[in-house]
Amino acid sequence: MIERDEDPWVDWIAAEAGRPVALDPGARERLLAAVRAEPLPTRAPRPWRRLFERRPLALSPVASLATAAGLVGIGVLAGAMIYRDGRPAGPPTEVVENTRLPVHDTVRVVKFVLIAPQAKEVALVGDFNRWDARATPMTRTPTGGTWSVTLPVVPGRHLYAFVVDGTQWLADPTAPLAPEDGFGAANSVLLVGESHS
Amino acid sequence: MTRSTGGWVIAKDMSDDAADVQRVLAGDVDAYAKLVDRYYDRCARFAVRMLGNRDDAEDALQATFLRAYRALARYQERDKFSAWLYRILVNQCRSIAARRAHRDRVFVREEAVLLNAPDTSRPSWSGEDEEFVQRVLAELDPLLREAFLLKYVEELSYEEMSALTGVGVSALKMRVKRACDRLRERWERIKDD
Repeated sequence: MIERDEDPWVDWIAAEAGRPVALDPGARERLLAAVRAEPLPTRAPRPWRRLFERRPLALSPVASLATAAGLVGIGVLAGAMIYRDGRPAGPPTEVVENTRLPVHDTVRVVKFVLIAPQAKEVALVGDFNRWDARATPMTRTPTGGTWSVTLPVVPGRHLYAFVVDGTQWLADPTAPLAPEDGFGAANSVLLVGESHS
Repeated sequence: MTRSTGGWVIAKDMSDDAADVQRVLAGDVDAYAKLVDRYYDRCARFAVRMLGNRDDAEDALQATFLRAYRALARYQERDKFSAWLYRILVNQCRSIAARRAHRDRVFVREEAVLLNAPDTSRPSWSGEDEEFVQRVLAELDPLLREAFLLKYVEELSYEEMSALTGVGVSALKMRVKRACDRLRERWERIKDD
């Protein structure tokens, strides 16, 4: 049942506001052209979902920052647990490495890694590249399905995601998820700290 | 007097929406044009009434349908398409209104300095009903305007409004009541002029 205000003046305002409006005749075509320029949305197949389930993961920034802070004992222990021959040990999964390199005080070099053996192409999108799926393509390792890219990022809180095969928008399951923005797109959060040196 | 055919969040052609979404996800981008056509006019009406001009409304519509398209694979497990789309639209209108408020404040301040003139950003009533109604709506606080439009123009239930806006039912009822009170006060001023 539709509720109405009893006041005829208010009812008149509502009735007039309810009349159809006409936008620029070209607006709809411009909208559809913009839609066609977008990658086609597709549903992630089940194997992908299993692969991308969230799970506990030790991140290299912990070891990096701990070492930098001079916590030698903890650092050595963590490093021994996390690294083997310079590569992460444990089950393969998505990994985000925030590797602090001595570049300068205002920019950090961040390595983004995604394991996606079935993917034909992977791109990194985020606020740091204006969510442009063509701006930061990721490179597959010669021997496997690991994709990575390294780029400088200014300190602060950043949102990012991966675009697989130009169609699948994937949050990083090993990183914190950004709060739901009400629009359905899931993004991950990357926190890049200031210099600790 | 014509009234909108409201209550469209409970879409009678929901099965059509679901079928079109499936076709888009299967690779048929033209199916999205059908979804756009189905909701374009209603979204346009809300955006124009909410934002007060067609340029901003067009921006809101484009952002809304693009965001919905990008996130289409995720919607269907949660909502009816129409309700989901409308939530995006409401959020887009809020964002654009907030950006415009900042822009207008800067513009008006600079104009006032340059011209040493009062704020003339609001047009006077030309006698046309639509312009007049648009102006009366623009005088409402945005949250009151939003609640009024959702209730009396889009004819949603308070429960539907709550789902769209994330605001509680009692708070929405209060906003609608205040909007009606403001409109009645406006009418009293018109009569006195």
